[in-house]
Amino acid sequence: MTSHYGCDVARREVLRLGLYAGGLAAALGVPMSLSGIARAAEAAASGRILVVVELSGANDGLNTVVPYGDDAYYRARPRLGIRADKLRKIDDTFGFQSGMAGFERLYKDGWLAIVHGVGYDQPSFSHFSSMAYWHTGAPNSGAAYGWLGRLADGMDPAGTADYLVNIDSHQSLAVRARSHVPLVFDDPDKFLRTAAFEEESALRAVVTSREVGNPTQRFLLEVANSAENAEPRLRQACAEYRTPVDYGLVHFGLDKVAALIAAGFPTRIYYVAFRNNAFDTHVQQSDVHARLLTYTSDHIAAFLHDMDRIGRADDVCVMAFSEFGRRVAENANLGTDHGTASTLFIAGKRVRGGHYGKMPSLVDLDDGNMRYTTDFRRVYATLIREWMNHSDVGAVLGRDFEPLGVFG
Amino acid sequence: MTSKDDWVNDLDPIQPADWDRARAKHLLNRAGFGGTPEDIDRLATLTPVEAVRRIIDYEKVENGDLPAFEHSGVYDPTLKVFPPSRPATTRKAETTGEAIGVRVKPGGSRRMQPVVDRFFFWLRATALETRRIAAWWADRMVSTDRPLQEKMALFWHGHFATGADKVRDYRKMLVQLELFHQKGTGNFRELLIAVAQDPAMLVFLDAGQNVKGAPNENFGREVMELFTMGVGNYSEHDIREAARAFTGWTNDDLRFKLDEAKHDTGEKEFLGRRGNFDGVDILNIILDQKVTANFMAGKIYRYFARDDLSPVLQERLGAVLRENDYELRPLLRTIFLSRDFYSEPSVGTRIKGPVDLIVSLCRELGLKRLPGVPDFNSSCGELGQVLLNPPTVAGWAQGRSWITPGMLLARGNLARQMLLPDMINFVDPNLDPGPQIREVNNRILRGMSVTAATSEENPGTGMAEDRAMANVLADKEDFNTRYGSLNGWREAVRRVKPTLRVPAQFSLSALVLSAQPKTTTEVVNIMLGRFLSVPLAEKSRLALVDFLNNELGTSDVQQAMTYMEDPLRLLVHLIMSTPEYQLA
Repeated sequence: MTSHYGCDVARREVLRLGLYAGGLAAALGVPMSLSGIARAAEAAASGRILVVVELSGANDGLNTVVPYGDDAYYRARPRLGIRADKLRKIDDTFGFQSGMAGFERLYKDGWLAIVHGVGYDQPSFSHFSSMAYWHTGAPNSGAAYGWLGRLADGMDPAGTADYLVNIDSHQSLAVRARSHVPLVFDDPDKFLRTAAFEEESALRAVVTSREVGNPTQRFLLEVANSAENAEPRLRQACAEYRTPVDYGLVHFGLDKVAALIAAGFPTRIYYVAFRNNAFDTHVQQSDVHARLLTYTSDHIAAFLHDMDRIGRADDVCVMAFSEFGRRVAENANLGTDHGTASTLFIAGKRVRGGHYGKMPSLVDLDDGNMRYTTDFRRVYATLIREWMNHSDVGAVLGRDFEPLGVFG
Repeated sequence: MTSKDDWVNDLDPIQPADWDRARAKHLLNRAGFGGTPEDIDRLATLTPVEAVRRIIDYEKVENGDLPAFEHSGVYDPTLKVFPPSRPATTRKAETTGEAIGVRVKPGGSRRMQPVVDRFFFWLRATALETRRIAAWWADRMVSTDRPLQEKMALFWHGHFATGADKVRDYRKMLVQLELFHQKGTGNFRELLIAVAQDPAMLVFLDAGQNVKGAPNENFGREVMELFTMGVGNYSEHDIREAARAFTGWTNDDLRFKLDEAKHDTGEKEFLGRRGNFDGVDILNIILDQKVTANFMAGKIYRYFARDDLSPVLQERLGAVLRENDYELRPLLRTIFLSRDFYSEPSVGTRIKGPVDLIVSLCRELGLKRLPGVPDFNSSCGELGQVLLNPPTVAGWAQGRSWITPGMLLARGNLARQMLLPDMINFVDPNLDPGPQIREVNNRILRGMSVTAATSEENPGTGMAEDRAMANVLADKEDFNTRYGSLNGWREAVRRVKPTLRVPAQFSLSALVLSAQPKTTTEVVNIMLGRFLSVPLAEKSRLALVDFLNNELGTSDVQQAMTYMEDPLRLLVHLIMSTPEYQLA
């Protein structure tokens, strides 16, 4: 597949070696079983990075990748339906909203997989419940750890520091792991201890103490240690990164991910979010949704082009999802209410671009909602097995799921 | 005196013989925001029943005249029906010739600029005024002698979470806050109904769009999922029927209004009952459910005692709420007097939320007012809790979710800013428009045209397609949004009352010297006793003594008395940077 940007093969190799060395160095000094060593080596050798983007609030997939070829769409949405001539058509059936130049470009370059009808059985219409199911990979169930946490634990039993990075003000359940302390930060400039020179040694003593207290105290100590270790490298990475790429009007963390990747962080899993139920467009959807999609498309496309620029496009893949979609029919307030199946995106140079899954019918509905055609755990299995090269899908998701064949 | 294991889940009241200073401190930490050693002593000398009475029956406590909120006066009635977006505003102006009290210019360039300016003015003015309300509330938390009233208001604010950004009207937020102050420790039935009819809540959950024939489920769903019963205790059908019962519930400015024409009076089926229910009926049916009392009692218990709540204990607490017809004080009294509340898993195990942390820091220092530096809202925001703007209607997650590596660093930094405020670098965030508006302003002042001043400098490769789509879309003809942002901001800042930027006034030397310590070891122990609720690791304690010795150049306090203040502040900064300090 072609792209508009060149790739520097030699540079890519150097960077990949740097990543490998960092990962191995971190793992040294900790005893590992033979199979653990083999697994870590396999993962490190492939050097692949997964970036998960959460579009919080339930993105209206139907108005994102618009099925303009289906009359039922316009019948259900007389006012919210977007006219064909206002769309960025990608084929005879579908078109992106007009603000999504970035995604259109990715699709035309063959870098974008559109997965239709993604959902799960007995769907929840509660943001919090459904998002929790996506985070744990365990719908209609409870689980202590996130699917990415379990993936990290499986791929890297040694618990390498900074294996998981979550750019947000709070740690997402998705990255919660048994053997890893995810590095969670929001603003790298704030990830800095303000302290007088004289305080340094006392400060280090009090924040890295290891005495046992109550369980909450122990938790605080673990986190304090993680902060202490990551602080200087993180700030340096973010401060030193320079890019000419325009990441759009709203940055939701991918620019920082780029900085860490460029700096050779050992991180294999990044989690960012367009937060606070931004996509929950119950009322007056048109303008807000158009803006949100423009920002999303700009930011993700920019990130991938930036990765190409620094020669890392082969190693990086982005998956963008929402906790559910929205109802097929528009509501009385020029908005849409909570629905079920939605569209999901997997993007990257190694992706075999195109359509995956089956677009649900817009007339054969379940009480006004689309019937899902692809269980979201198949998407997870695709990323676990095909992208991260980790074969023990069952340990992460409870059982095996058939991958979608997205990666060439 | 250590508590025994059999105190866990024991609701029997703690006896005077088991009452001590540590337990009084625990009560003050949880039911309030902690305090000075004198505050704790005052509770410690009372019996448990008297101490809890002083906390709960706070009308009997003298509170002085806490000042009312001082409005800046930025609102006028032409802002009452505020359009939902800038495009909606300009569409209205296009079709009717005016919007939000401003007419479209008959001629000239950028005919709709004044309308757009006003739009951005209100967004900024109400946001600034909301920040002032948050700081005013925090000031009350610091100075009140009725801390439970404020702590419960904070609890209800997190429970009936309403975000000011969406409500876009600081007056409505103030009305809702007043509700939590007045009814926060009264009757939950009354509070629930009042909140369901509260204008801020109605706007936040799109109640006004919930009309006969086209019910909007947002409100009905959240009332059941978050405010009363929790997921799994009702069906989607119940939600739709409840939504019908709430149709027509809307607000006329700051008052609840029932729009009869939009109200669905038909028969509904809800939680197994049938009738021509209205919203109040629905709420009462919800309150009739056993699960509601259990859910609410459980949430209140977790807020004050600990996260780990056994189902058996939850049932018993739910029963207390139910048997008292949802009066909250009997439940609070039961919890605060129970041996379970003072059992080992309950004490020193709660991670203070950001507002809690900042307010208790102030109270532990003996401050009477909230300092103006650092900025309260910025500080809280950095720690992950913006008062009056919870991230979603579910409120804040509490507990361990407050803590990430970045957050722990931020907490230590905040403590330093409180103890040694950086007046040199301080920039009033209320007066800081951000780099974009700043740049436009500078260009305008240099004489550039509006078009040139607001054009986005292209950081890309220079090719038009490389510019992010959003930046291309930002240029318009009839008005300029970036220019409007600048103008609106300017007027808002001109009219909103300034916040007094006075750093905290206190003397750690005076606080310490009243105990007449002789050595630095004693000083460190005094400070630890004052600021911590759990014991500090021995290695850390020794490191602190070492630190103080180095700073003072001696371990003899008498010799160092005249220059102790800054070293003491650094010492307390170190204490507040410990993981232990985050616990109450």
